Parts: sequence; C-alpha cells; structure tokens
Amino acid sequence: MTPAPKTYVRPMNRWWMRHPAYRRYLLREGTSVMVAAYALFLLAGMVCLVLGEAAFNLWRGFLQSPVSVIFHLAALAAFAFHAWTWFKVMPLTTPPIRFRGRSVPDRMIFRAALWAWGIASLILLVLAMRFL
Amino acid sequence: MSQTRTIMIECLRYDPEQDQAPHYRTYEVPFTDEMSVLEGLQYIKDHLDGSLTFRWSCRMAICGSCGCMVNHQPILSCQSFLRDYYPARIRVEPLEHFPIVKDLVIDQSDFLGKLESVTPYLVPAQPLTPEDGPNLQTPRQIEDYLGYAQCINCLLCYAACPQYGLNNEFTGPAALALLARYNADSRDAGQKTRMEVVNAEEGVWGCTLVGLCSEVCPKHVDPARAINRNKINSTQDYFLRFLAPFGRGS
Ligand code: SF4
Ligand code: FES
Repeated sequence: MTPAPKTYVRPMNRWWMRHPAYRRYLLREGTSVMVAAYALFLLAGMVCLVLGEAAFNLWRGFLQSPVSVIFHLAALAAFAFHAWTWFKVMPLTTPPIRFRGRSVPDRMIFRAALWAWGIASLILLVLAMRFL
Repeated sequence: MSQTRTIMIECLRYDPEQDQAPHYRTYEVPFTDEMSVLEGLQYIKDHLDGSLTFRWSCRMAICGSCGCMVNHQPILSCQSFLRDYYPARIRVEPLEHFPIVKDLVIDQSDFLGKLESVTPYLVPAQPLTPEDGPNLQTPRQIEDYLGYAQCINCLLCYAACPQYGLNNEFTGPAALALLARYNADSRDAGQKTRMEVVNAEEGVWGCTLVGLCSEVCPKHVDPARAINRNKINSTQDYFLRFLAPFGRGS
C-alpha cells in the first residue's frame, strides 16, 4: 500500500498525561526501583558480613536508625503494591489453566496467588520470631 | 421522541493541503438520547461543515472503521453515545499513534503491513483439497482461539498502546493477537513460520504489559493476554534452541 501523501504525526511528549492507565503502569514499574534498591541494601549487608564483625555490627546498627525504619516501611509499601499489581496481571501471563475441562477464571488465579503470598509471609514471620 | 439537547463537540481538524499542523474547531450539535458520537459527526458534516472527514460504514460495531479518540479514550464512535458525555463537551481526535491523513482519518498502512507479517491464515500441515472433506474441530479446540478470532481491525488497541506510539516497529496488539489466533488453531501447522515475528525484539518482547489494549478492545479479544502467553512460547523456543541445536533446522 502506498502511504498517504502528506500526513501529520503527532508527538509523544508527556504521553503519560493522556490516560490514567498509563500513570498506573508507570507507578507499577516504578516500584521495581524500590525492589532493586532493597536488593542492593541486602547485598551491602552481605558485603559487611564478609568484611568482618565490626562492619557487620555497623550495618546492624544502621538497621535500627529512623532512616532505616522509614526505608523499610517505604520498601514494604512498594513491595506490597508491586506484588499486588503483579498478581493482578499474572493470569495474562500464565498458559491456559483448565480444571475439570473448564478454564480457571482470572480471579481464582489472583486469589490463589494472594493466599500463597500470605501463607509464605506468615511462615517467614513465624520462623523469624522463633530464631531471631 | 426523546428531548433534544445541545452538546459541544471539539474536533481535531487537519487539511494536508492547507495546514502545517492540526487545530481544533468546536461545533454545537443538537442531539437526542439515541444519537451516537458518529451521528454527532454526521450532523456536523451534513449541517455545519461539509469538509469534516471521517471513516465509517456499518454503524453497528462490526466493520471497525469508525474508531477515534474521545477525550483521549480510543472508542468506536458508532458504539458510544453523546448522552453519556453530556453535559461536558467532548473532544474528538483521530486514533492516537497513527499518521493523520485528514481530520479524523488515519493512515493504517503500517498496521496492514504488520498484519501480513504474521501469516494471518491457516497453514495446513499437508496441502488439502476439497476431496479431503471437512477439517473437523471439537468445541474445545474452537474455544482455544475463538476469542482471538473476533478482531475487527479497528486499531483501538494500537491507539491505546504507548509502546507502539513510542516505537512503531513494535508489531503491536491486534497483529500479535491474530498471530496467537492462528497458532492456537488445531488445523494450523504454521507456528514455525510465525515464531520469527514472535521472538523479535519488536515481537512479543516489545510489550511491557501496560494492558490498556485489552481494556479498550470492543470485541474482548484480549491482545495483552495473547501477547504475554506467547512470551512463554518465545522463552521456551529460545532455550530449546540451546538444547537441540541441530535438531530444529528450519
Ligand atoms: S484486538 Fe480489539 S481493539 Fe485491537 S483491532 Fe482487534 S478488535 Fe480492535
Ligand atoms: S461504523 Fe462500523 S464499527 Fe463503527
């Protein structure tokens, strides 16, 4: 097909302003920055552990500072939002799942993921309380 | 006969022979409850400004030619009603992310090329003739692709996809959904030919799951699902190539 003679192509600047779904999407992706930041923070802890007791105690000491508490709360919020939105889109990424010949509805997959998340977190919490 | 009210329709105008860039014009359109946005545009063309250019045909959400943006939302103008926007004014623009030919008419040639690239027809394992008889399917086999087969090529999903807007090399929602439609068909053996399109950076991996394509699709084709399921196939394909480097010659 020959393209039309003189067409006008609109620019994409500030495209995220055009639809709330775009901003939700950017927020979802943005929270993964926090996930990465937390991974780096844990990595720093590991490095301190390798460096020796003094360094590790310093890192543990930092854990109790208000900055660290705020960082942890922010990370928790970001993780929760990220996980929630990820579970929401998860049914789109799984292969078709059938149970007794019927395809499993999206909300069942979403709920199953939430339960798995909740139970895993609970087990972790119990273990942490017992052994730490 | 329901009562007549007046709504303001702000319409993007672009005349390639006169304008350097598009501009907006506002029209006062009397409407009744049963009037669609398309009928509003037709009112403008018939009574206010005969030069307004837009596409339409079936007026019943079947032909897919009347798509446009209303207040930044891609819609079929024959399927959206003025009463649902009133008393606010509405802003009508051509579908986002496509070059504007004139007013609300966009150039779809890029999409048509992409549509061709996904081999959008059945590729039988062996050539068949009418003597071979009907190619039967069970209801379950039909169910595997029927949803994807509802596409009317209206391009609302492309207008909803910022990835396509930012980089139109991306094969895009409807074409990839049709690709999934033929791959999922039990009568088809063309998966291998389509895999190249799937695996490309501009194939399924161009999608970051913004997800608006599935929300705006008037036929519930769910292109986001089709694309993201194919990411699994593409990943499998990638690793299988390492496992069997000599066994999968094409
Ligand atoms: S997938 Fe849906 S929105 Fe996209 S072209 Fe087909 S019918 Fe239109
Ligand atoms: S006029 Fe055919 S889909 Fe709207």
